[in-house]
Amino acid sequence: MTDQTLGTPMAKDNQRSLGQKLLKRLEPTLWVFASLSIFVGLWEFAWWRGWANPLLLPPPHIFLANMTDQFRFFDPGGTRAGALATGGSIFSVLGVIAWSSFRVTAGLVLGFTLSLAIGIGIRYFRIFGKLVLPLVTMLAPISPVAWLPVAVFVFGIGNPPAIFLVFIAIFFIMTLATLSQIDNVPVHYIQLARVMGCDKRQIYRHVILPAILPELFVTLRMNLFAAWMVVLIAEAVGVGSGLGQVTMMARNTFNASLVFFTMTLIGLTGFAFDQALRYIQRKVLWWVGPSSVGGI
Amino acid sequence: MTLGLKISDVSKTWNPDGPEPVPAVRNLSLEVALGEFVVLLGPSGCGKSSLLYIVAGLEDATEGSVTFDGLEVTEPSPERSLIFQEAALYPWLTVRDNITFGLKIAGQSQKQQQEAAEKLLRLVGIHGAGDRRPHELSGGMRQRAALARALAMQPKVLLMDEPFAALDIQTRARMQGHLLNIWESSKASVLLVTHSIDEALALADRVIVFTARPGQIKAEIPITTQRPRDMRSPEMTELARQCEALLGEEVEKSFNEQELA
Repeated sequence: MTDQTLGTPMAKDNQRSLGQKLLKRLEPTLWVFASLSIFVGLWEFAWWRGWANPLLLPPPHIFLANMTDQFRFFDPGGTRAGALATGGSIFSVLGVIAWSSFRVTAGLVLGFTLSLAIGIGIRYFRIFGKLVLPLVTMLAPISPVAWLPVAVFVFGIGNPPAIFLVFIAIFFIMTLATLSQIDNVPVHYIQLARVMGCDKRQIYRHVILPAILPELFVTLRMNLFAAWMVVLIAEAVGVGSGLGQVTMMARNTFNASLVFFTMTLIGLTGFAFDQALRYIQRKVLWWVGPSSVGGI
Repeated sequence: MTLGLKISDVSKTWNPDGPEPVPAVRNLSLEVALGEFVVLLGPSGCGKSSLLYIVAGLEDATEGSVTFDGLEVTEPSPERSLIFQEAALYPWLTVRDNITFGLKIAGQSQKQQQEAAEKLLRLVGIHGAGDRRPHELSGGMRQRAALARALAMQPKVLLMDEPFAALDIQTRARMQGHLLNIWESSKASVLLVTHSIDEALALADRVIVFTARPGQIKAEIPITTQRPRDMRSPEMTELARQCEALLGEEVEKSFNEQELA
């Protein structure tokens, strides 16, 4: 953001009162709360009018009131999967969130790096590209859910199948995105690099890679939510711990409050992930104009 | 051996084996002496840019050959630097790093690069903008940076493809004056493509008027008037009229051709 305000005199900012500055700072957060309030308000209203059965659709003030009761269903270790656990604290909840987050992060990092490597490889080595690209294109439309049994056959139960599924959910699409980004690098960038004495390897390293990273990061962010959806399915079926497992258990035990409490946690964690990726994007890819970073 | 640039009987056809080959340049011969400023003037799409790419070594001629200082041009080289209509600075590098990009590739030390950058930033008149990002600069400043980047390679010939076409008229006039100063001090040859008659007449030692596609040389107009030139002097207005007439015929031709197609 600082880039575009470079021309404005800094003195003006100092003249503004502290309150105004604080308000400006808090504005995005306030909007988040406003957005959330509308949804919660409608739900509570429906409950108040008797439209929503509190047993099936308990509104936030109910499922959040007995929040501490729900803590005992959270077991980060996954040793008591499916069974009613006793005890449990806020830390066990955080533990469960941490496990799910870890699986998503590991899958994303793996998927991003490998798709970048394979995508560049396809364009860099012609024969490799001709051999691999049809395969990638054919595997791309297969839903991660279809890979679920494969993940369990190959990796059994535990973290690997969940990480594998997240990886699958983004890998093919990111590989194809890498290819399209490489093909869209302005031809003048490459011609200039050649004139300035770059060989092929140097063109990829110094021109193509930095030119494609910003858009790929945007693609990654858009696929973040797909990764979260997939990890929950994997946890519900093949892992035996994590937020997905808790949701599945809540479903099996007909515990509506727990369902909605877990959904709330998933939503908040997903939101935090998006914010974190935005932050990384701004810090690492500073050369992208503010419009393209903040616009999505 | 001839020093400088020698284009002998070059033809270029785009998509030669396709169903509709597009002839861009036909049997074109041209010499650019050491330190000479030659402007290629022609209607849009007449193949003058194609010729520039061939000279740069980015494209192969379908027929004929290009030699530079007696050596056949087969691939791009830093001694034949290129400047496009848009500056095409790398947005992920600061202006300074853009200017020293080629030096870094050539393996020069940090210190050499920094010294070169300072000198060049000063030369093109944007010292102080070295740490800025390209997107923070105005169009004119970006084009200066692009010029500095080209000059960093100490080219023997500057190839410029409508370098000032995207700038407003005032900035353009300033940049032309600037380019002349730099050209005079660098002693490099310049081969500049434009469709602006005024630009051609203000800059060139020799104006080469192109025909419509496929590009051939229609006329060669040497200009000996001292620079900076007064474009309103009788001599220059006469030359402008001459160019306009030559160019007008070709624009007419390419217009008619478009209607047929």
